[in-house]
Amino acid sequence: MSATTFRTQEVGSLPRPLWQLQRQRGDRLTDAARAEYERWDRLLGFGGEMPEARAALLGDGPADGEATGALASLFALRYLESAGLDRVYDGEARRVEMYEHPVRRMRGFRFVGHVRSFDAKYYRKAAVTGPVGLERPYHLEEFDFVRAHARAEPKLPITGPYTLADWSYNEYYLGRQPGWKGSAARRSAQRELVVALAREAIRPTLQELVRRGCRTVQIDEPAAGTHPDEVDLVVEGFNAATDGIDAEVSMHVCYTDYPKLLPALLEAKRCRQWTWEFANRDDEDHDGYAVLEQLRDYGDDRSVGVGVVDVHVDRVETPELVADRVVRAARHLGDPARVWVNPDCGLRTRSLEVAHAKLRAMVEGAALARERLGLA
Amino acid sequence: MQVDAGLASPFPRSEELVRATRDLDRGRTSAAEVERRYRLAEEDVVAEERRLGFGSVTAGFLRTDDLFRPYALGWEGFAVGPLTRWLESNTFYRRPVLLHPPARRAGAIRAGLPPPLRADPAGARLLLPGPYTFAELLDNRSGETGPALVHRLGRLLADELRELGGDGFRTFVLSDPLVAIAPPEGPAAASLEEAYRSIGGAVPGATTIVWTYGADPVPALPLLDRLAVTAVGIDLTEVEAERLPQRDRPAGLAAGVVDPRTTLLEEPTEIVRVVRAAARRRRADRLWLSTGAPLDLLPAEAAGRKLGVLAEAARALGGGPGQ
Repeated sequence: MSATTFRTQEVGSLPRPLWQLQRQRGDRLTDAARAEYERWDRLLGFGGEMPEARAALLGDGPADGEATGALASLFALRYLESAGLDRVYDGEARRVEMYEHPVRRMRGFRFVGHVRSFDAKYYRKAAVTGPVGLERPYHLEEFDFVRAHARAEPKLPITGPYTLADWSYNEYYLGRQPGWKGSAARRSAQRELVVALAREAIRPTLQELVRRGCRTVQIDEPAAGTHPDEVDLVVEGFNAATDGIDAEVSMHVCYTDYPKLLPALLEAKRCRQWTWEFANRDDEDHDGYAVLEQLRDYGDDRSVGVGVVDVHVDRVETPELVADRVVRAARHLGDPARVWVNPDCGLRTRSLEVAHAKLRAMVEGAALARERLGLA
Repeated sequence: MQVDAGLASPFPRSEELVRATRDLDRGRTSAAEVERRYRLAEEDVVAEERRLGFGSVTAGFLRTDDLFRPYALGWEGFAVGPLTRWLESNTFYRRPVLLHPPARRAGAIRAGLPPPLRADPAGARLLLPGPYTFAELLDNRSGETGPALVHRLGRLLADELRELGGDGFRTFVLSDPLVAIAPPEGPAAASLEEAYRSIGGAVPGATTIVWTYGADPVPALPLLDRLAVTAVGIDLTEVEAERLPQRDRPAGLAAGVVDPRTTLLEEPTEIVRVVRAAARRRRADRLWLSTGAPLDLLPAEAAGRKLGVLAEAARALGGGPGQ
């Protein structure tokens, strides 16, 4: 039975195993990929649950993308469960990434090419060239699979409307603004796009997910901190997307100066949990935790998923360090019962070994924190 | 009035160059093959800049990983730090960590310039970091105060310009968006003026442009107008021209008139209207048109279309080849 305080969860995508990447490219498995598969299968035993997919993966026949995807989803579930997490999903194993995957299932977008994120890292961006809408609700098969196979409590992460809008070129809605497309026109057009995405694409998807039994949803808004003066649009999009949605909804925002988003962000009324990054900015002064006191001062009574492991470094946090962070967060927030424990963001850029070690340390650290505070 | 147009930021990498650099990153191609791709891409950008009638060319600065990297790697006193969000965008730079007072290493910046620019320095437009943005966005562990660092970076950049000027380079664009986003005050403003006095006087007869973007520039204009440079950059996608304060004497105006945050193409006639209004208020005696925010926020094909609009607007304002 899982604990009732300092419950643990993942918040982003996981690293992809070599065997998944190679098979989905249509390649035969290299020795390294085969060894990686066998190592994790011995540890987690997931292959035995899908013997046909395993046979297709390891065989010499043509790649079966669907079977490989299902096996990768099952692997991610067992990977998270074996680390001891209370809430799980499939690590977004079958999504291209968090922007392209949903946008490819919507109307009104046209992909226009790659933009550099940094160095030799790029991402594909789309322009909004018409009214946005939904081709078909997405993440449904993914959720059905998770619900059918998860042994821990399932949740579903979905990219939020503000982030989808911010990461797109707003051509259609801006073009409808009269005259010179200055800052006022841009803002007005952005609001139209955010609300349209929320109402026409994300809310219908959430409705269908809830109809299929989804009870816990995480809305990812990593762009929320990009333009602090647009936090009201983040909130408006969140509220529009979740209007009438009968599920426990959280909002994940990372790598930003959270105080700049307050108190406006607190108007996201249907949000029941904030999941924020703390490990990344945990320095000697620990002043990053002060934002939790601000939440208390504003009378905000929602739970907070506290990021306690840094997803950008390979150094694995000790359970003691995790426990320190959890206890510190609980003290700043003033209520241990409202603290959840998670990584800062997705562990996708770490190796499978490092990510798993970090998750295990996180779970052990949460238990240690309970012990220190004498909690169940 | 003399009108010119051109790049004030790197041009985005083409899809071919994206593939090549990605492949190199993943060990699927050789450095020599990527170098060949860079050279071809640089020649393509130069050809396009010339075709569009730009008075000076950049070759796209395609190899530059971020605005500060050549200096963090080429000068002394720096380490390359963590990935950090670039202003209000979804792109990132590696934050320079200044461990000791910075010092130039002669020839280091010149060596990293695109080969087509080194071959024709007089026709080149060089893109450099502005001293204020550089000082504000690095992690300063050198013990030097902020204003002192702005002053020091200004002098080092002036030395850099002198060296480059000695090679024949004559056009320098200093990217200093923080001046508009978070205008310096008090000692920091005085240091910035001093820094630009060094920079502006480094190469007699050279064109030095301070490029700003990312915020309404009006609060910063009193300071910007005091800088000893050829032209001050105003991002007209951030401010209505009618709100610009009247200038009391003629000056150059570098106007950001196309917006790389959207693929929507601006109407050249609308650009002309806005630029004329801005030029009247700023008593512009010479115009340089460029993008507002950095053009590499767009993919290459869309960026190329924006440059076409820029050139068309410049022609409509009386600029073009030979200007």
